[in-house]
Formats: sequence, structure tokens, C-alpha cells
Amino acid sequence: MIPAFVDNETWTITILGWLIVFAALIFLVGIFLVVPRLILWSTKRALRKKSKYSNREIKDEELILSGEINAAIALALYLYFNEIHDEESNIITIKEVRRRYSPWNSKLYGMNNVNFPR
Amino acid sequence: MIKSFKLPLLLLLFMFLLTGTNVFAGGFDSMKPEIFEKAWEGLAKFWNFTGFANAHYTNFIMIAVGLFFIFLAIRYDYEPLLLIPIGVGILIGNVPFLAGNKIGLYEEGSVLNYLYFGVRQGIYPPLIFLGIGAMTDFSSLISNPKLMILGAAAQVGIFATFWGAAILGFMPAESGAIAIIGGADGPTAIFLSSKLAPHLMGAIAIAAYSYMALVPVIQPPIMRLLVPKKERLIKMKPPRAVSKLEKILFPIIGLLLTTFISPSALPLLGMLFFGNLLKESGVTERLADTARNSLINIVTILLGVTVGASTQAVRMVTDPDTGELINKGFLSPDSIKIFALGAISFVVATAGGLIFARIMNLFLKGDNRINPLIGAAGVSAVPDSARVVQNEGLKCDPTNHLLMHAMAPNVSGVIGSAVAAGILLAFLM
Repeated sequence: MIPAFVDNETWTITILGWLIVFAALIFLVGIFLVVPRLILWSTKRALRKKSKYSNREIKDEELILSGEINAAIALALYLYFNEIHDEESNIITIKEVRRRYSPWNSKLYGMNNVNFPR
Repeated sequence: MIKSFKLPLLLLLFMFLLTGTNVFAGGFDSMKPEIFEKAWEGLAKFWNFTGFANAHYTNFIMIAVGLFFIFLAIRYDYEPLLLIPIGVGILIGNVPFLAGNKIGLYEEGSVLNYLYFGVRQGIYPPLIFLGIGAMTDFSSLISNPKLMILGAAAQVGIFATFWGAAILGFMPAESGAIAIIGGADGPTAIFLSSKLAPHLMGAIAIAAYSYMALVPVIQPPIMRLLVPKKERLIKMKPPRAVSKLEKILFPIIGLLLTTFISPSALPLLGMLFFGNLLKESGVTERLADTARNSLINIVTILLGVTVGASTQAVRMVTDPDTGELINKGFLSPDSIKIFALGAISFVVATAGGLIFARIMNLFLKGDNRINPLIGAAGVSAVPDSARVVQNEGLKCDPTNHLLMHAMAPNVSGVIGSAVAAGILLAFLM
């Protein structure tokens, strides 16, 4: 037997429950719409204190970077640090090799007179 | 000739081993018929212990289900990290045995029962959430917070299922536990059902994980049905870069705000945001690393196997009210209803997210418009539903990458389903 309707409690939980989930996430949305503005405001304030920015207005675009720009910078840095060894000077130099004399590396001591004609 | 000697000798040796009686000591006179009787009794006793003697056809049905899960995981790569442990768990849980020897999952004092303690008391799900928090990047969500609402919209699946379960005659607490399947979040489903309807936990968990694994199959047709091609082509503007301060503030504010609204979800949301703070703080890398690797792996193994093993085909228990023996096993009409409700809740949740995204577009202009496909990621099957959105987006336009955008409703869906679980717990406990 399938009841045609559900009781009031079920309706209450169904509607109220969903609305509370919405409310919780909308609160979070509200806060995270405000937080970046607050951070921007405090950054601008800190920059104005520095002499470089004291005589002009700082635009939001100067402080906000898009994810794409960040990704490009990150990729460029990654490539730079990983491929830095490939950038050679292209100057080939033959360095003079000097060995100090030692009886251990003396050519004379290392020679055998095997085929010397007697 | 040699063969004819071998057989009696082997028989004597077998009897010696079986009964512990030295038949040679007193000569063959001591071989009395009792020895054979004892041997026969021993064999019969052994037979009664075997799985063959205790088997029921339902065990084989469940073993086939377990094997099917393993097949899906290996052949089609559907959530293998979950389906392999669950599939093996189903095999373990459905090997027939003689009850009363501390073997089965539901027998007090058995090893499996100890492992199952973490599921029964809701210990494993918060630990999984800790790991999820430590591996989730909330940047896309913080950069475009309005997408968070899509995570709430998709939770319509939970509440529609609650309503549907009540219509099908489930008790309110049972309906709440079944409803959470619509959240598409396995740990949350286990957490809530362990509190509200422990006897249905096996069916609920299996339904939740099965549908999560089937997200790539269930969602695309609904997406194509509800979103016209013109809107599927919408390109969203790239997300802005998020500062480290915002990333640190998010778990702290999120934790305080959501748990003040829904304190019952504290174990889940507390651990989720704690894990995320470990990651984003930048000073606890070792802890974050443990949480997102070793810890979550260990807990996933234990959770998967024990949840799988909890699906015993038939489990007769005494009804505390009537004193009658009733079947609380997995193979019951209730399980079929739960699976049907689970499928409907997934469809409703996906549709809810997609429709809400289209409604949001009515109020958004220019490059602020969103691609409605990302609404489907509001169900919290992380990251599968976001991946499905990406694939569907690429099918329409090979240059339109929606993955980052879809991750925002996807992770907000995790928060939304945990909040919904807390609300259901508060209403129904």
C-alpha cells in the first residue's frame, strides 16, 4: 500500500532542509565576495604608504592577476629553471692541461724495453 | 599387487591423523567400529563447517555482484579504488559459514567486527574527509564564489529522495539515510546511515558508491537533454588568481560558518576544513602529505572492505518489538527500493544543478555567464562529475576547457552534502 501523501514533518524537512543548505552556502558566497575586496583595500592602503604609489591612484587591475597570467608566469619560470642548462655560451675552449711531475706518472718509469734490439 | 596394499595403508594413515588413535599400537584388534564412527562424525562436523554445507543460493547471487564490481573496476576503470575493496568485501561477507564462531562481520568479537567498528561508529568517514580536504584545491571556488550556489542546487536530489522514500513507506530516519545517496558522497552516506539506519547501511553505501562509479554513464544523457547546444558552447572567463591569504581564510571561515549552521556535520566538515588548512597553511606539509596519501589510503581499504562485507545476503535477526525473526540482509525488497531511489536521486540532483545554472544565466551578462554544464558537477562525486563536464564540454567545442570551472560546484557539493547530512541528522535523531 503506497500512501498518496506524506506527513507534514516530511514536507517540513524536505523544504526547510534544502533552504538551510542554500542559506549556508549563500552566506559563504557573501563572505567570499567581501573578503577579496577587503584584501584589495588593505593592499592598496599598504602600497599608498610607500612613496612609489603615494601620488597616484592604484587601479584594481594592477593588483588582480587573472589565472591565465599566473599560469603563464608559472610555466615560464618552470621552463626557465628546468631548461637553464641548455643555454650554453657556445664558446668552445680547450683548456691547457698541466700535470706536475711525479715519479708515479712519469712516462719513463712506465716503459718496458720489451722489443729493444740487443 | 602394490596398488592393493597402498589403499588400506593410506586409509589407516588417514584414520590415524584424523582420530589421533594409534591403530598400530594394539594391533588390528583395536580397530573397532567406533573409530570409523568417530572418523565419520569428524568428517560430518568438518562438512558442517564448510561453506558448501552452509551455502544458500543468495550467497552466490551476492558473490556474482562482488565479481561484477571487480570486473567493472578492472575492465572499465570505474572508481577502482573503491570498487575493488568493496567487491572483495562482498565476496568476504558472502562466503557462507557456520554462525557462532566469531567469524562473521556481525558476530561480536570477530576480527571483521572490530574492523567494522569504524564504520558502525562513523569513524572512517571523517578521516576520509580529512584526506579529501588535504588534497582539494578550493581556488576555483574562491575565485568565483557564486558557483558555490550550484553545489546547493544539486542537493535537491537529497531532499527529493527523502520525500520519495517517505512515499515508499520508509520510516523518517530510514528516509533520511536513503536520501543522502543523492549527495553522491560515499563517506557522508555511510556517516549518516550509521547514525540513522544502521541496518540499511550496506545497501545505502553500495548504492551510493555504485552510482558514483556510474557518473560517466548517468550524467551525460541528462546534460545533453537539459542543456541546448548553444549554451553548451559558452566559454567562461578564466578564474582570477587567488592569494594565499584567501586560501588560508577559506577553511577557517568555512569551518566556523557551516558548523555553526549545522553542528551535526561537525565531524565531517571539521575534518574537511582541517585537512584543507593543513594543505594551505604551507607549514604542515608533512601532516597534509600523510592525510592525503597514507591515511586516506588505509581508511579507504578498511572502509571499502568492511562496507562490502556488511552486505550479507541473508541475515536473520530478532525483531525487538515483535520477537519474530526478520531478514535484515542485503537481499531484501528494501534494497531494491533503495537502489531505485538512489538512481532517481542522482538524476534529480544532476538535473537540479543544470537547471539552476541555466536560471543563473538569466541574471548574468556578458563574460560573467556560466556554461550550464558545470551545474552537473554540483553533485559531489569529486572529481568524476567535473571530469564528465570537461568531456562533455570538449565534445561540443574542443577548445572549451571547463574542468577548473566545474571543480567549484564540485567541491561546494561536498560541503553542501555534508551540511545537508547535518541538517537531516538534526531533524531526525
